[in-house]
Amino acid sequence: MKLEVTQLTKCYGKTRAADGLSLSVGAARVLVLIGPSGGGKSTLLRLLGGLETADEGIIEINGQRLSTEVSALQAYRRKNGFLFQQFNLFPHLTARHNIALPLEKVHGHPPAEALVLAEQALDRFNLLDHADKLPAQLSGGQQQRVGIARAVAHQPEVLFLDEPTSALDPEMTAEVLELIQELAEAGQDIILSTHEMGFARAVADQVAFVAAGKIEELSPPAGLFAAPKSALCQRFLSRVMRY
Amino acid sequence: MNRRQLFANVLVAMILAVVFAWLCTSLFAVLGKQADWSKTWEYREALWNGWLVTLGISFAALIGSIFFGLLFMLGQRSHLVVVRCTCRAFLEFVRDTPLLVHLLFGYFVIFAPLLARPLGEHGLDDKLIIGVLLLSVFEGAYLGEILRGGVESIPRTQWESARAVGFSPFQVYRYVIFPQALRRVLPAMAGLFVSLIKDSSLLSVIGVAEYFYNTRNVISRSYAGLEGYIPLAVGYLILTLPVAWLSHWLEKRFRHET
Repeated sequence: MKLEVTQLTKCYGKTRAADGLSLSVGAARVLVLIGPSGGGKSTLLRLLGGLETADEGIIEINGQRLSTEVSALQAYRRKNGFLFQQFNLFPHLTARHNIALPLEKVHGHPPAEALVLAEQALDRFNLLDHADKLPAQLSGGQQQRVGIARAVAHQPEVLFLDEPTSALDPEMTAEVLELIQELAEAGQDIILSTHEMGFARAVADQVAFVAAGKIEELSPPAGLFAAPKSALCQRFLSRVMRY
Repeated sequence: MNRRQLFANVLVAMILAVVFAWLCTSLFAVLGKQADWSKTWEYREALWNGWLVTLGISFAALIGSIFFGLLFMLGQRSHLVVVRCTCRAFLEFVRDTPLLVHLLFGYFVIFAPLLARPLGEHGLDDKLIIGVLLLSVFEGAYLGEILRGGVESIPRTQWESARAVGFSPFQVYRYVIFPQALRRVLPAMAGLFVSLIKDSSLLSVIGVAEYFYNTRNVISRSYAGLEGYIPLAVGYLILTLPVAWLSHWLEKRFRHET
Protein backbone atom coordinates (compact mmCIF):
# COMPACT_ATOMS: atom_id res chain seq x y z
CA MET A 1 0.00 0.00 0.00
CA LYS A 2 1.20 3.42 -0.94
CA LEU A 3 0.03 6.45 1.01
CA GLU A 4 0.53 10.13 0.35
CA VAL A 5 -1.02 12.73 2.66
CA THR A 6 -0.38 16.42 2.16
CA GLN A 7 -1.18 19.34 4.47
CA LEU A 8 -4.25 17.73 6.02
CA THR A 9 -6.31 19.95 8.32
CA LYS A 10 -9.44 19.08 10.26
CA CYS A 11 -11.01 21.22 12.98
CA TYR A 12 -13.70 20.35 15.52
CA GLY A 13 -14.80 23.72 16.80
CA LYS A 14 -11.55 25.29 17.96
CA THR A 15 -9.61 22.05 18.28
CA ARG A 16 -7.29 21.34 15.38
CA ALA A 17 -7.38 17.55 15.36
CA ALA A 18 -5.26 17.45 12.22
CA ASP A 19 -3.04 20.47 11.81
CA GLY A 20 -1.29 20.58 8.45
CA LEU A 21 -0.49 16.89 8.69
CA SER A 22 1.71 15.34 5.99
CA LEU A 23 2.66 11.70 5.63
CA SER A 24 4.39 9.78 2.89
CA VAL A 25 4.62 5.99 2.97
CA GLY A 26 6.23 4.39 -0.07
CA ALA A 27 5.31 0.77 0.53
CA ALA A 28 3.97 -0.83 3.68
CA ARG A 29 1.69 -3.71 4.43
CA VAL A 30 0.94 -2.58 7.96
CA LEU A 31 1.08 1.04 9.07
CA VAL A 32 0.70 1.62 12.80
CA LEU A 33 -0.19 4.97 14.32
CA ILE A 34 0.95 5.56 17.89
CA GLY A 35 0.89 8.64 20.06
CA PRO A 36 -0.82 10.30 23.02
CA SER A 37 -4.61 10.29 23.36
CA GLY A 38 -6.13 13.35 21.77
CA GLY A 39 -3.12 13.74 19.50
CA GLY A 40 -5.09 13.07 16.30
CA LYS A 41 -4.68 9.31 15.66
CA SER A 42 -8.40 8.67 15.44
CA THR A 43 -9.05 11.72 13.32
CA LEU A 44 -6.34 10.74 10.86
CA LEU A 45 -7.71 7.22 10.68
CA ARG A 46 -11.27 8.44 10.15
CA LEU A 47 -10.09 10.78 7.39
CA LEU A 48 -8.12 7.99 5.73
CA GLY A 49 -11.10 5.64 6.06
CA GLY A 50 -13.45 8.09 4.38
CA LEU A 51 -15.69 8.56 7.41
CA GLU A 52 -14.97 12.27 7.57
CA THR A 53 -13.82 14.83 5.06
CA ALA A 54 -10.87 17.08 5.70
CA ASP A 55 -11.19 20.86 5.85
CA GLU A 56 -8.07 21.13 3.74
CA GLY A 57 -5.43 18.87 2.28
CA ILE A 58 -5.09 15.88 0.00
CA ILE A 59 -5.12 12.14 0.65
CA GLU A 60 -3.84 9.69 -1.95
CA ILE A 61 -4.04 5.95 -1.36
CA ASN A 62 -2.38 3.66 -3.91
CA GLY A 63 -2.17 6.55 -6.32
CA GLN A 64 -5.88 7.34 -6.09
CA ARG A 65 -6.93 10.67 -4.74
CA LEU A 66 -9.67 10.51 -2.11
CA SER A 67 -12.71 12.47 -3.19
CA THR A 68 -14.76 14.65 -0.84
CA GLU A 69 -17.98 13.91 -2.66
CA VAL A 70 -20.62 11.95 -0.70
CA SER A 71 -21.30 9.15 -3.19
CA ALA A 72 -17.64 8.67 -4.04
CA LEU A 73 -16.83 8.40 -0.34
CA GLN A 74 -19.56 5.82 0.13
CA ALA A 75 -18.12 3.76 -2.72
CA TYR A 76 -14.68 4.14 -1.13
CA ARG A 77 -15.96 2.92 2.27
CA ARG A 78 -17.56 -0.05 0.55
CA LYS A 79 -14.28 -1.37 -0.77
CA ASN A 80 -12.47 -0.93 2.55
CA GLY A 81 -13.11 -2.13 6.09
CA PHE A 82 -13.30 -0.13 9.30
CA LEU A 83 -13.43 -1.18 12.93
CA PHE A 84 -13.94 1.06 15.98
CA GLN A 85 -12.96 0.61 19.60
CA GLN A 86 -16.23 -1.04 20.55
CA PHE A 87 -19.96 -1.41 19.78
CA ASN A 88 -19.26 -2.21 16.14
CA LEU A 89 -21.88 -4.91 15.82
CA PHE A 90 -25.58 -4.29 15.29
CA PRO A 91 -27.16 -5.46 18.57
CA HIS A 92 -30.42 -6.68 17.01
CA LEU A 93 -28.69 -9.14 14.66
CA THR A 94 -26.83 -12.39 15.34
CA ALA A 95 -23.12 -12.62 14.52
CA ARG A 96 -23.99 -14.45 11.30
CA HIS A 97 -26.46 -11.80 10.16
CA ASN A 98 -24.17 -8.98 11.19
CA ILE A 99 -21.78 -10.23 8.54
CA ALA A 100 -24.33 -11.38 5.98
CA LEU A 101 -26.41 -8.18 5.92
CA PRO A 102 -23.74 -5.88 4.40
CA LEU A 103 -22.67 -8.64 2.03
CA GLU A 104 -26.23 -8.86 0.77
CA LYS A 105 -27.30 -5.21 0.82
CA VAL A 106 -24.02 -3.48 0.04
CA HIS A 107 -22.09 -5.97 -2.04
CA GLY A 108 -25.04 -7.47 -3.87
CA HIS A 109 -24.66 -11.14 -3.01
CA PRO A 110 -27.89 -13.16 -3.07
CA PRO A 111 -29.15 -13.84 0.50
CA ALA A 112 -28.23 -17.54 0.56
CA GLU A 113 -24.77 -16.86 -0.78
CA ALA A 114 -24.25 -14.02 1.72
CA LEU A 115 -25.03 -16.41 4.57
CA VAL A 116 -22.54 -18.96 3.23
CA LEU A 117 -19.86 -16.27 2.93
CA ALA A 118 -20.66 -15.07 6.48
CA GLU A 119 -20.24 -18.61 7.72
CA GLN A 120 -16.88 -18.90 5.98
CA ALA A 121 -15.74 -15.60 7.50
CA LEU A 122 -16.70 -16.82 10.99
CA ASP A 123 -15.07 -20.19 10.39
CA ARG A 124 -11.83 -18.54 9.33
CA PHE A 125 -11.46 -16.99 12.79
CA ASN A 126 -12.85 -19.96 14.75
CA LEU A 127 -16.05 -18.15 15.60
CA LEU A 128 -18.51 -20.60 14.11
CA ASP A 129 -19.75 -21.68 17.57
CA HIS A 130 -20.98 -18.13 18.13
CA ALA A 131 -22.70 -17.66 14.77
CA ASP A 132 -26.21 -17.56 16.18
CA LYS A 133 -25.52 -15.45 19.23
CA LEU A 134 -26.49 -11.82 19.60
CA PRO A 135 -23.66 -9.36 20.33
CA ALA A 136 -24.82 -9.02 23.95
CA GLN A 137 -24.17 -12.75 24.42
CA LEU A 138 -20.54 -12.45 23.26
CA SER A 139 -17.50 -11.30 25.26
CA GLY A 140 -15.80 -8.05 24.29
CA GLY A 141 -13.01 -9.93 22.55
CA GLN A 142 -15.42 -12.12 20.62
CA GLN A 143 -17.39 -9.03 19.58
CA GLN A 144 -14.25 -7.41 18.21
CA ARG A 145 -13.28 -10.60 16.38
CA VAL A 146 -16.73 -10.82 14.79
CA GLY A 147 -16.34 -7.12 13.96
CA ILE A 148 -13.08 -7.85 12.18
CA ALA A 149 -14.61 -10.85 10.44
CA ARG A 150 -17.33 -8.53 9.13
CA ALA A 151 -14.80 -5.90 8.06
CA VAL A 152 -12.76 -8.38 6.01
CA ALA A 153 -15.61 -10.59 4.71
CA HIS A 154 -15.71 -8.67 1.43
CA GLN A 155 -11.92 -8.71 0.97
CA PRO A 156 -11.27 -5.01 1.55
CA GLU A 157 -8.35 -3.26 -0.05
CA VAL A 158 -7.35 -1.63 3.21
CA LEU A 159 -8.50 -2.50 6.73
CA PHE A 160 -8.68 0.42 9.17
CA LEU A 161 -8.62 -0.38 12.88
CA ASP A 162 -9.12 2.40 15.40
CA GLU A 163 -7.66 1.24 18.73
CA PRO A 164 -9.31 -2.18 18.33
CA THR A 165 -8.26 -3.44 21.77
CA SER A 166 -8.53 -0.33 23.96
CA ALA A 167 -11.77 -1.45 25.57
CA LEU A 168 -10.61 -5.01 26.30
CA ASP A 169 -8.87 -6.77 29.19
CA PRO A 170 -5.37 -8.22 28.56
CA GLU A 171 -6.56 -11.72 27.74
CA MET A 172 -9.10 -10.55 25.17
CA THR A 173 -6.58 -8.06 23.84
CA ALA A 174 -4.26 -10.96 23.10
CA GLU A 175 -6.89 -12.93 21.19
CA VAL A 176 -7.76 -9.90 19.04
CA LEU A 177 -4.12 -8.99 18.39
CA GLU A 178 -3.37 -12.57 17.33
CA LEU A 179 -6.14 -12.35 14.81
CA ILE A 180 -4.86 -9.06 13.42
CA GLN A 181 -1.37 -10.50 13.13
CA GLU A 182 -2.80 -13.48 11.25
CA LEU A 183 -4.47 -11.10 8.82
CA ALA A 184 -1.27 -9.12 8.34
CA GLU A 185 0.67 -12.29 7.64
CA ALA A 186 -1.96 -13.32 5.11
CA GLY A 187 -1.15 -10.14 3.20
CA GLN A 188 -3.96 -7.81 4.24
CA ASP A 189 -3.13 -4.09 4.03
CA ILE A 190 -3.84 -2.60 7.44
CA ILE A 191 -3.70 0.86 8.97
CA LEU A 192 -4.29 0.80 12.70
CA SER A 193 -3.86 2.93 15.78
CA THR A 194 -2.97 1.31 19.07
CA HIS A 195 -1.49 1.74 22.52
CA GLU A 196 0.03 -1.76 22.45
CA MET A 197 3.69 -0.92 21.75
CA GLY A 198 4.87 -4.52 21.75
CA PHE A 199 2.30 -5.37 19.14
CA ALA A 200 3.18 -2.31 17.06
CA ARG A 201 6.82 -3.35 17.06
CA ALA A 202 6.01 -6.93 16.08
CA VAL A 203 3.52 -6.34 13.30
CA ALA A 204 4.24 -2.93 11.76
CA ASP A 205 6.20 -2.23 8.59
CA GLN A 206 6.07 1.49 9.35
CA VAL A 207 5.22 3.25 12.58
CA ALA A 208 4.00 6.85 12.64
CA PHE A 209 4.09 8.86 15.83
CA VAL A 210 1.13 11.28 15.81
CA ALA A 211 0.95 14.17 18.26
CA ALA A 212 -0.78 17.56 18.27
CA GLY A 213 -2.33 16.91 14.87
CA LYS A 214 0.97 16.26 13.12
CA ILE A 215 3.22 13.34 12.21
CA GLU A 216 6.20 13.80 14.46
CA GLU A 217 8.13 10.83 13.25
CA LEU A 218 7.78 8.02 10.73
CA SER A 219 10.09 5.05 10.45
CA PRO A 220 10.25 1.24 10.58
CA PRO A 221 9.55 -0.03 14.13
CA ALA A 222 13.09 -1.19 14.86
CA GLY A 223 14.45 2.31 14.38
CA LEU A 224 11.60 4.20 16.01
CA PHE A 225 11.45 2.13 19.18
CA ALA A 226 15.24 1.79 19.60
CA ALA A 227 16.23 5.37 18.85
CA PRO A 228 13.37 7.86 18.42
CA LYS A 229 14.59 11.07 16.85
CA SER A 230 11.94 13.57 17.92
CA ALA A 231 11.96 14.75 21.52
CA LEU A 232 8.19 14.34 21.86
CA CYS A 233 8.37 10.75 20.70
CA GLN A 234 11.28 10.02 23.06
CA ARG A 235 9.31 11.37 26.00
CA PHE A 236 6.15 9.47 25.00
CA LEU A 237 7.96 6.17 24.59
CA SER A 238 9.96 6.50 27.80
CA ARG A 239 6.72 7.14 29.63
CA VAL A 240 4.67 4.28 28.15
CA MET A 241 7.56 1.79 28.29
CA ARG A 242 8.42 2.50 31.92
CA TYR A 243 6.03 -0.09 33.40
CA MET B 1 -47.35 -11.19 51.05
CA ASN B 2 -47.44 -11.48 54.83
CA ARG B 3 -50.60 -11.77 56.93
CA ARG B 4 -50.92 -8.08 57.65
CA GLN B 5 -50.67 -7.16 53.99
CA LEU B 6 -53.16 -9.87 53.10
CA PHE B 7 -55.59 -8.54 55.69
CA ALA B 8 -55.15 -4.95 54.45
CA ASN B 9 -55.69 -6.03 50.86
CA VAL B 10 -58.86 -7.91 51.65
CA LEU B 11 -60.17 -5.00 53.70
CA VAL B 12 -59.53 -2.42 50.98
CA ALA B 13 -61.01 -4.70 48.33
CA MET B 14 -64.15 -5.12 50.38
CA ILE B 15 -64.53 -1.38 50.96
CA LEU B 16 -64.11 -0.69 47.24
CA ALA B 17 -66.63 -3.40 46.36
CA VAL B 18 -69.17 -1.96 48.77
CA VAL B 19 -68.72 1.58 47.41
CA PHE B 20 -69.04 0.35 43.84
CA ALA B 21 -72.09 -1.74 44.63
CA TRP B 22 -73.74 1.19 46.40
CA LEU B 23 -73.05 3.46 43.43
CA CYS B 24 -74.52 0.94 40.97
CA THR B 25 -77.62 0.21 43.03
CA SER B 26 -78.42 3.85 43.62
CA LEU B 27 -77.94 4.64 39.93
CA PHE B 28 -80.09 1.74 38.83
CA ALA B 29 -82.71 2.75 41.40
CA VAL B 30 -83.05 6.06 39.58
CA LEU B 31 -82.38 5.09 35.96
CA GLY B 32 -83.02 1.36 35.87
CA LYS B 33 -86.77 1.66 35.99
CA GLN B 34 -86.82 3.66 32.79
CA ALA B 35 -84.13 1.60 31.05
CA ASP B 36 -85.67 -0.08 28.08
CA TRP B 37 -83.17 -2.24 26.24
CA SER B 38 -85.54 -2.77 23.36
CA LYS B 39 -84.67 0.79 22.26
CA THR B 40 -81.04 -0.21 21.85
CA TRP B 41 -82.10 -3.24 19.88
CA GLU B 42 -84.44 -1.16 17.73
CA TYR B 43 -81.59 1.17 16.69
CA ARG B 44 -78.99 -1.60 16.42
CA GLU B 45 -78.32 -0.89 12.79
CA ALA B 46 -77.35 2.76 13.36
CA LEU B 47 -75.14 1.80 16.30
CA TRP B 48 -73.47 -1.03 14.39
CA ASN B 49 -72.84 1.16 11.35
CA GLY B 50 -71.38 3.91 13.53
CA TRP B 51 -69.12 1.41 15.25
CA LEU B 52 -67.90 0.13 11.90
CA VAL B 53 -67.19 3.68 10.74
CA THR B 54 -65.18 4.33 13.92
CA LEU B 55 -63.24 1.13 13.30
CA GLY B 56 -62.56 2.22 9.73
CA ILE B 57 -61.55 5.76 10.76
CA SER B 58 -59.22 4.41 13.42
CA PHE B 59 -57.58 2.03 11.01
CA ALA B 60 -57.19 4.60 8.23
CA ALA B 61 -55.91 7.28 10.63
CA LEU B 62 -53.46 4.77 12.09
CA ILE B 63 -51.92 4.22 8.67
CA GLY B 64 -52.10 7.97 7.93
CA SER B 65 -50.49 8.92 11.22
CA ILE B 66 -47.58 6.55 10.56
CA PHE B 67 -47.07 8.26 7.19
CA PHE B 68 -47.19 11.76 8.66
CA GLY B 69 -45.16 10.70 11.70
CA LEU B 70 -42.33 9.45 9.49
CA LEU B 71 -42.55 12.60 7.42
CA PHE B 72 -42.33 14.88 10.48
CA MET B 73 -39.51 12.82 11.94
CA LEU B 74 -37.46 12.97 8.75
CA GLY B 75 -38.30 16.65 8.29
CA GLN B 76 -36.90 17.45 11.70
CA ARG B 77 -33.68 15.60 10.89
CA SER B 78 -33.30 17.26 7.50
CA HIS B 79 -30.02 18.92 6.55
CA LEU B 80 -31.93 21.99 5.35
CA VAL B 81 -32.52 24.54 8.07
CA VAL B 82 -35.69 25.80 6.39
CA VAL B 83 -37.28 22.35 6.34
CA ARG B 84 -36.27 21.75 9.94
CA CYS B 85 -37.68 25.05 11.18
CA THR B 86 -40.93 24.76 9.23
CA CYS B 87 -41.45 21.28 10.58
CA ARG B 88 -40.70 22.38 14.14
CA ALA B 89 -43.09 25.33 13.89
CA PHE B 90 -45.87 23.22 12.42
CA LEU B 91 -45.47 20.54 15.09
CA GLU B 92 -45.47 23.17 17.80
CA PHE B 93 -48.71 24.61 16.38
CA VAL B 94 -50.37 21.21 16.13
CA ARG B 95 -49.29 20.04 19.55
CA ASP B 96 -50.24 23.25 21.32
CA THR B 97 -53.82 23.56 20.08
CA PRO B 98 -56.74 21.24 20.92
CA LEU B 99 -57.81 18.61 18.40
CA LEU B 100 -61.34 20.00 18.56
CA VAL B 101 -60.08 23.36 17.29
CA HIS B 102 -58.10 21.63 14.60
CA LEU B 103 -61.02 19.72 13.30
CA LEU B 104 -63.30 22.77 13.20
CA PHE B 105 -60.64 25.08 11.78
CA GLY B 106 -59.21 22.50 9.41
CA TYR B 107 -62.57 21.43 8.10
CA PHE B 108 -64.55 24.65 7.88
CA VAL B 109 -61.71 27.08 7.13
CA ILE B 110 -59.21 25.10 5.09
CA PHE B 111 -60.36 21.88 3.51
CA ALA B 112 -64.11 22.13 3.06
CA PRO B 113 -63.91 25.23 0.79
CA LEU B 114 -61.19 23.52 -1.27
CA LEU B 115 -62.22 19.90 -1.36
CA ALA B 116 -65.88 19.51 -0.45
CA ARG B 117 -67.21 20.07 -3.97
CA PRO B 118 -64.66 18.03 -5.96
CA LEU B 119 -64.96 15.14 -3.51
CA GLY B 120 -68.74 15.34 -3.57
CA GLU B 121 -68.77 15.23 -7.34
CA HIS B 122 -66.95 11.92 -7.19
CA GLY B 123 -69.55 10.61 -4.79
CA LEU B 124 -67.18 10.60 -1.84
CA ASP B 125 -67.96 11.60 1.74
CA ASP B 126 -65.87 14.76 2.16
CA LYS B 127 -66.37 14.94 5.94
CA LEU B 128 -65.07 11.44 6.44
CA ILE B 129 -62.03 11.87 4.22
CA ILE B 130 -61.06 15.29 5.55
CA GLY B 131 -61.72 14.14 9.11
CA VAL B 132 -59.41 11.15 8.72
CA LEU B 133 -56.78 13.40 7.14
CA LEU B 134 -56.93 15.92 10.00
CA LEU B 135 -56.82 13.19 12.60
CA SER B 136 -53.83 11.60 10.85
CA VAL B 137 -51.91 14.87 10.85
CA PHE B 138 -52.71 15.50 14.50
CA GLU B 139 -51.68 12.07 15.74
CA GLY B 140 -48.80 12.04 13.25
CA ALA B 141 -47.36 15.11 14.98
CA TYR B 142 -47.16 13.18 18.24
CA LEU B 143 -45.91 10.06 16.53
CA GLY B 144 -43.21 12.11 14.80
CA GLU B 145 -41.86 13.20 18.17
CA ILE B 146 -41.99 9.63 19.50
CA LEU B 147 -40.10 8.36 16.46
CA ARG B 148 -37.58 11.17 16.67
CA GLY B 149 -36.91 10.31 20.29
CA GLY B 150 -36.40 6.68 19.32
CA VAL B 151 -34.09 7.43 16.43
CA GLU B 152 -32.04 9.90 18.47
CA SER B 153 -31.67 7.40 21.29
CA ILE B 154 -29.60 5.08 19.09
CA PRO B 155 -25.95 5.60 20.00
CA ARG B 156 -23.63 7.40 17.60
CA THR B 157 -21.45 4.32 17.14
CA GLN B 158 -24.33 2.51 15.46
CA TRP B 159 -24.66 5.23 12.82
CA GLU B 160 -20.90 5.19 12.33
CA SER B 161 -20.66 1.41 12.05
CA ALA B 162 -23.52 1.39 9.59
CA ARG B 163 -21.78 4.02 7.48
CA ALA B 164 -18.47 2.17 7.81
CA VAL B 165 -19.85 -1.06 6.33
CA GLY B 166 -20.94 1.01 3.34
CA PHE B 167 -24.69 1.42 3.82
CA SER B 168 -26.36 4.30 2.00
CA PRO B 169 -28.26 6.82 4.17
CA PHE B 170 -31.55 5.04 3.38
CA GLN B 171 -30.06 1.66 4.23
CA VAL B 172 -28.67 3.01 7.50
CA TYR B 173 -32.22 3.86 8.59
CA ARG B 174 -33.82 0.77 7.11
CA TYR B 175 -31.48 -1.94 8.40
CA VAL B 176 -29.78 -0.50 11.46
CA ILE B 177 -31.59 2.44 13.04
CA PHE B 178 -35.30 1.65 12.61
CA PRO B 179 -35.17 -1.96 13.79
CA GLN B 180 -33.54 -0.79 17.01
CA ALA B 181 -35.53 2.42 17.44
CA LEU B 182 -38.91 0.76 16.84
CA ARG B 183 -38.27 -1.72 19.64
CA ARG B 184 -37.73 1.16 22.00
CA VAL B 185 -40.81 3.17 21.01
CA LEU B 186 -43.35 0.40 20.39
CA PRO B 187 -45.01 0.75 23.82
CA ALA B 188 -45.30 4.52 23.37
CA MET B 189 -46.71 4.03 19.87
CA ALA B 190 -49.31 1.57 21.11
CA GLY B 191 -50.33 4.13 23.74
CA LEU B 192 -50.71 6.74 21.04
CA PHE B 193 -52.90 4.45 18.95
CA VAL B 194 -55.23 4.01 21.93
CA SER B 195 -55.54 7.81 22.08
CA LEU B 196 -56.16 7.90 18.36
CA ILE B 197 -59.15 5.56 18.64
CA LYS B 198 -60.61 7.64 21.45
CA ASP B 199 -59.93 10.92 19.65
CA SER B 200 -61.81 9.68 16.60
CA SER B 201 -65.02 10.40 18.56
CA LEU B 202 -64.30 14.12 18.08
CA LEU B 203 -64.92 13.79 14.35
CA SER B 204 -68.60 13.98 15.33
CA VAL B 205 -68.21 17.78 15.56
CA ILE B 206 -67.80 18.06 11.81
CA GLY B 207 -70.68 15.67 11.29
CA VAL B 208 -68.97 12.38 10.52
CA ALA B 209 -71.47 9.61 11.24
CA GLU B 210 -69.20 7.57 13.50
CA TYR B 211 -70.01 5.69 16.68
CA PHE B 212 -70.28 8.63 19.08
CA TYR B 213 -72.31 10.70 16.58
CA ASN B 214 -74.76 7.89 15.85
CA THR B 215 -75.15 6.90 19.48
CA ARG B 216 -75.86 10.48 20.49
CA ASN B 217 -78.49 10.71 17.76
CA VAL B 218 -80.08 7.47 18.91
CA ILE B 219 -80.14 8.73 22.49
CA SER B 220 -81.76 12.03 21.62
CA ARG B 221 -84.29 10.39 19.35
CA SER B 222 -85.30 7.63 21.74
CA TYR B 223 -84.75 9.40 25.06
CA ALA B 224 -82.54 6.50 26.05
CA GLY B 225 -80.36 6.69 29.16
CA LEU B 226 -78.28 3.82 30.44
CA GLU B 227 -79.25 1.65 27.51
CA GLY B 228 -77.57 4.19 25.19
CA TYR B 229 -74.49 5.17 27.17
CA ILE B 230 -73.41 1.71 28.25
CA PRO B 231 -73.08 0.40 24.67
CA LEU B 232 -71.20 3.63 23.86
CA ALA B 233 -68.56 2.98 26.51
CA VAL B 234 -68.37 -0.74 25.76
CA GLY B 235 -68.04 -0.10 22.03
CA TYR B 236 -64.90 1.99 22.54
CA LEU B 237 -63.47 -0.47 25.05
CA ILE B 238 -63.76 -3.28 22.51
CA LEU B 239 -61.54 -1.24 20.18
CA THR B 240 -59.03 0.11 22.68
CA LEU B 241 -58.47 -2.79 25.08
CA PRO B 242 -56.76 -5.10 22.56
CA VAL B 243 -54.36 -2.29 21.61
CA ALA B 244 -53.67 -1.50 25.27
CA TRP B 245 -53.04 -5.18 26.03
CA LEU B 246 -50.77 -5.41 23.04
CA SER B 247 -48.79 -2.43 24.33
CA HIS B 248 -48.36 -3.97 27.81
CA TRP B 249 -47.27 -7.23 26.25
CA LEU B 250 -44.74 -5.49 24.03
CA GLU B 251 -43.44 -3.48 26.95
CA LYS B 252 -42.81 -6.65 28.95
CA ARG B 253 -41.28 -8.50 26.07
CA PHE B 254 -38.77 -5.84 25.11
CA ARG B 255 -37.89 -5.07 28.70
CA HIS B 256 -36.58 -8.61 29.11
CA GLU B 257 -34.81 -8.62 25.80
CA THR B 258 -32.48 -5.74 26.62
